[in-house]
Amino acid sequence: MLFWFIAIAVTAIACAALFYAAGQHAVNAAVPELDDANSHFRLVLAGIDADVAAGKLGEPEAIAARGELAREILRLKAEAGRATATPHGLGQAPLLAGLAGVAVLALGLYAVLGSPDLPSQPLAGRSDAAAQQIDLETAIARIEAQLTANPDDLRGWTVIAPAYLEMGRYADAARAYRRMMELGEPTADLQTSLAEALMLGADGAGSAEAMDLLRAAAASDPNHVLSRLYIAAELTRAGDYPAAAEAWQAALALSKGDEPWLPAAQQGLAVAQNGGVAPANAQESEMIGQMVGGLAERLDTQGGSIEEWTQLVRAYLVLDDTGSAQAAYDDAVAAYPQAFDRGDLDTLALGAGLTLNGAQP
Amino acid sequence: MSIELGHFALILAFAIAAVSAVGGFAFWRSGQRIALVLSQGAVLQFILVAVAFAALIQAFVSSDFSLLLAANNSHSLKPLIFKISGVWGNHEGSMVLWIFILVAFGAMVATFGRRLPNDLLALVLATQSLLTAAFAGFTIFTSNPFARLIPAPLEGNDLNPVLQDIGLAIHPPLLYAGYVGFSICFSFAIAALVSGRIDQAWARWVRPWTMLSWTFLTLGIAMGSYWAYYELGWGGWWFWDPVENASFMPWLAGTALLHSALVMEKRNALKIWTIFLSIITFSLSLLGTFLVRSGILTSVHTFASDPTRGLVILTLLALVIGGAFALFAFRASTLRQGGLFAPVSREGALILNNLFLATSVGAVLVGTLYPLLLDALAGTTISVGAPFFNLTFGTLMAPLLLVLPFGPLLAWKRADIVGAAQRLIGAAALALFATILISALSGITISLAPLGLLLGFWVAFGAIAELVDRSKLGRIPLAESGRRLIGLPRSAWSTAIAHFGIGITVLGIVATSAWETERVTTLNPGESTELSGYNIAFDSFEAVQGPNYLSDEGRFTVTAPDGSTRQMLADRRTYVASGMPTTEAAIETYGFSQLYLQLGEPLDETHVVRIWHKPYITLIWLGAILMACAGLLSLTDRKLRVGAPRRAKSAPQAAE
Repeated sequence: MLFWFIAIAVTAIACAALFYAAGQHAVNAAVPELDDANSHFRLVLAGIDADVAAGKLGEPEAIAARGELAREILRLKAEAGRATATPHGLGQAPLLAGLAGVAVLALGLYAVLGSPDLPSQPLAGRSDAAAQQIDLETAIARIEAQLTANPDDLRGWTVIAPAYLEMGRYADAARAYRRMMELGEPTADLQTSLAEALMLGADGAGSAEAMDLLRAAAASDPNHVLSRLYIAAELTRAGDYPAAAEAWQAALALSKGDEPWLPAAQQGLAVAQNGGVAPANAQESEMIGQMVGGLAERLDTQGGSIEEWTQLVRAYLVLDDTGSAQAAYDDAVAAYPQAFDRGDLDTLALGAGLTLNGAQP
Repeated sequence: MSIELGHFALILAFAIAAVSAVGGFAFWRSGQRIALVLSQGAVLQFILVAVAFAALIQAFVSSDFSLLLAANNSHSLKPLIFKISGVWGNHEGSMVLWIFILVAFGAMVATFGRRLPNDLLALVLATQSLLTAAFAGFTIFTSNPFARLIPAPLEGNDLNPVLQDIGLAIHPPLLYAGYVGFSICFSFAIAALVSGRIDQAWARWVRPWTMLSWTFLTLGIAMGSYWAYYELGWGGWWFWDPVENASFMPWLAGTALLHSALVMEKRNALKIWTIFLSIITFSLSLLGTFLVRSGILTSVHTFASDPTRGLVILTLLALVIGGAFALFAFRASTLRQGGLFAPVSREGALILNNLFLATSVGAVLVGTLYPLLLDALAGTTISVGAPFFNLTFGTLMAPLLLVLPFGPLLAWKRADIVGAAQRLIGAAALALFATILISALSGITISLAPLGLLLGFWVAFGAIAELVDRSKLGRIPLAESGRRLIGLPRSAWSTAIAHFGIGITVLGIVATSAWETERVTTLNPGESTELSGYNIAFDSFEAVQGPNYLSDEGRFTVTAPDGSTRQMLADRRTYVASGMPTTEAAIETYGFSQLYLQLGEPLDETHVVRIWHKPYITLIWLGAILMACAGLLSLTDRKLRVGAPRRAKSAPQAAE
């Protein structure tokens, strides 16, 4: 609202300035313009006289120059006499129309193009976020400085360890947790956190040290869920499915039924029980098998395009069924004996180690 | 809210300009009233665009990244001067600078032009408003500098590192002042064509504007050349790059205009040609703007290529230039030709000057546009390089420079060429002596270089010859000569200084082209090398943190042939925000010569260092500065002078 007030005021002032620029002068017919030119010629004449007086111009040159000037004036006078049409003055109406045009054009155009409600946002005014970001780093630096001076400050390590973890500085985080375990009691939480830092530092792979820590945590606290989940996950990753299934069950036994980790743990258990293959995946491969079987049957009885044969061979190869792939390939070669027609199929098949007409390439 | 107020101010200025243009052309005969209204309108446009420009600067300085332009081209860590100059270091902002200078000239005409005839003033201001409306419209509709960005990003994208230089604060404003200043001459030409009023008085009004624009353009080009020289790290000062040519063509045409307007003011001759040149000069300025702004050319000046913008500018260009030439073709025949003169006369000499300058404009224009047209029409990419320009332009300039000293010594209307030649014998002898002396001392054989030197000295000494002649130096007591020298009109001084400046520039070009030495070598800290008698020792190499860049700094100690030592500092910078590297060459000036040192890419623990010794290279720019000083000096001399004709019978000795 304030913006529009200012904009309209500025427009009004500009229009008033334009209107009153012409205000002092009555609407008058233009005076003949010859006067302006005359003043110029008078200047030239005075210049010639001054030059003669100063000795810069000889008398003959001065006469010639004055002569030229006189001819020019005579010509202009004649021209002015011929121009009979008297020009008319600028009336009030066109001026007002013009000013209205200015106001409408400016305000209308701005209404379309501008964003009057958007405030300015200089950096100084929105530095909160920037300040916070800088503060995290400066805060860490400050705590680090303090810990260098006083490495026995348990509280300092307690604050800085999760911050390191957050920032991805896993080695620093592990160092901080170790220091905390030295300074205080090695609780189950602490052991799990250290194991977490170690595993994250090793790109998610567990180590003997991490597993020992987790086992110690699980043993020291029979109700500790996090350590048991980590153990189960690590066993699954390592491929020890029977032990993993047991560990998942142990973790699930502690559940109250509404924890956020519940679905993940249940899926983990299912995978472990299924021997490392997600049950959903088993269903999928069965479905793929059915589809491939359907395609093979159709191609066998009705024949099909080379693209369909290629698809079939590729499907067998993906399913790791080399025998069927070779059989399908042989059928395809029988259906399309010209190598030219087979296109990509040969590349695919020979590349995957199949043979053409029983011969290695 | 300041950004939005700036936006509104620009739109209001556009509205006033549009209405002024329409009203001005409709009612230009209506006497004093319309002239007053348009004058007021011109001043208002200036104030409003100044407000818009200030709003942009304010947003850049306060790092207000809710302004899209600031977010794209600024950075909160940038030093203050680059925050301000960054406003026009991009397409949108540079268009606002263009408009700002355009309306500033318009306001100057309105303020200083109160004594102009009403109809002429009204037409000039109407044309000026038309240009303002066209360019403000282009800016608002296709490249709005006031576009907002919500939410505002935390940090801006920073300005192209090459542009983060003091040069950006100086070069574009000067160059634009030159380009845009010629719009005044254009407007006067249109006014003359529409009203049919064309006489000596017209030329007298136009000439100071031409002089002012030409002075700015001279400085702008010289500054751009020096900037490219020290920033781009190639050590060259002129590349015949299309963007350079784009600024050089208006300069050549403007130089021609300057001289033809002189003839028109003094002798009422060459009127139609002067009008034609006024239109040509501004058209070339527009062409330059088009080439640079449309994105046709790839250069540091091309900020973003946008086909729509290019098309709109091309349309504007076609309308303005086409309209002007159509008007010229329609009206020129009704204008009255003026004064007669003999071929050998001051007028004749100035026509010769115009002939050569106009032809060289043509040569540069062909060399610049031909590859572009060929690429656009046939899809063939060819490159017209320095050899073409050096050959054609050099061939055209040599005879012009050869006859240049004669011009000021010839009398108006009919002159005595033998008398002028006699008065130049001293200058010719001096130039020959200096050339032979230098050639003998440096032991060079007959080649193009001594001929170039001879030409440079001839122009420089010939320029002074007029002053010597008019002060009767050596023919009368020295004190009397001194008094006469001081008493000479400032216009005579400015002619001499400008022509002397040309000679100096030619000398600089010849010297640096002929005797430049270069060394490319690998150096490690502690080692040293030698070039043209200078011993360059590589002292240290270290990483340094700048305000918004990281830099690898090489320190060198240079021992000059005279035994004095100086420190040189060359660095390679990497800018934090953009990650772009730049090289900052180290330049040391010894007298008029320069030592130019550039640190190359680090290569297996060693450093490639390129060193040039450029003898007398600063003369190139000093000459340009002399020319600009001459332009300013001439502007202070507004006394009317009579170009009195000589009677056919008068004796040659009477010439004065």
